[in-house]
Amino acid sequence: MITREEIIKRTNDALKKEFEFTDAQLTPTAQLRDDLCLDSLDAVDMVVVLEQQFGVTLRQGYDLRTIVTLNDLYDFIEKLARTHNK
Amino acid sequence: MERLRTAFNTICIGGAAIVWLFISALIAFPFLWLKSKNRDRAVRKFVYVQSCGIVFFMRLASKAFRVEKAERPQGSCVVVANHASALDLYTISAFRFNNVVYITKGWVFKLPFFRYVMKGAGYVDAETTSPTEMLGICKQAVQKGCDIVLFPQGTRKDPRARFKSGAFYLAEQLNLPVVPIAIVGTHKMLSVGSFWIKPAKIVLKAFPAKYPSDYPGELGHLHMAQDVKKQVMDFVDKEEFA
Repeated sequence: MITREEIIKRTNDALKKEFEFTDAQLTPTAQLRDDLCLDSLDAVDMVVVLEQQFGVTLRQGYDLRTIVTLNDLYDFIEKLARTHNK
Repeated sequence: MERLRTAFNTICIGGAAIVWLFISALIAFPFLWLKSKNRDRAVRKFVYVQSCGIVFFMRLASKAFRVEKAERPQGSCVVVANHASALDLYTISAFRFNNVVYITKGWVFKLPFFRYVMKGAGYVDAETTSPTEMLGICKQAVQKGCDIVLFPQGTRKDPRARFKSGAFYLAEQLNLPVVPIAIVGTHKMLSVGSFWIKPAKIVLKAFPAKYPSDYPGELGHLHMAQDVKKQVMDFVDKEEFA
């Protein structure tokens, strides 16, 4: 079972690589839209990046609009990982 | 000496540029408007004429001015450039792109006089237009033979800002080549929030076109954006530290 620390690390590594973020920007309370300036296309790209990183499908069956902060994103992936392991 | 040149640039060349903008608006615009059957094309031509004039004044105000052109692709293309100064908008004309649709931030559409030009030319407000709508507008513009110009950094405040992938997604969807342009020195000539026109070395370089088919996969546009940014910023760094 993947740990939360690992989820955070892999998510942040993927976001740093693809969206040129720095560690300082990637705080758990950072808002994806307002703080990280991710637009709607970036959001779609981010989903694809995370799908490739974690090997899961995020685009179907989930309301991704509820994800506002990075912490929400970590929670979402953690919940998804738990569901997959059941 | 530098201060004296800055004062001369600002008062004499800046003043002449403003006079040029007014005179060209009074003479060139009515002429192009009456001559052209296509009204939005006339406005775009007018912007091109004005831009060529501004580039001429930039040349006068600079320490050195160099334009490196590349072979243009056949048909329409998406032109992308780094963005650090209000002058960048005009520099595109140095590459003879004379029928372009700019996709810009919303505040430009609120400026007095400019808003009429922006709307008249069929430019696109990136903040109020949905991606689907934008795609439709750009498709129509391409059918009219226009090139699409974007500054993918979306801000002048951070010259090293990420190249957002929207421009490249557009190129991918419309199957258009992307022409990267590196703009060096304009932020030294006219920096954000300043009205002083400083003498600076200006280099404008167009790179050979890149094609969306060379960047396959769902994240092709994102990787193209990263690749283009690297190419442009490597050139900017090389010229600025030369």
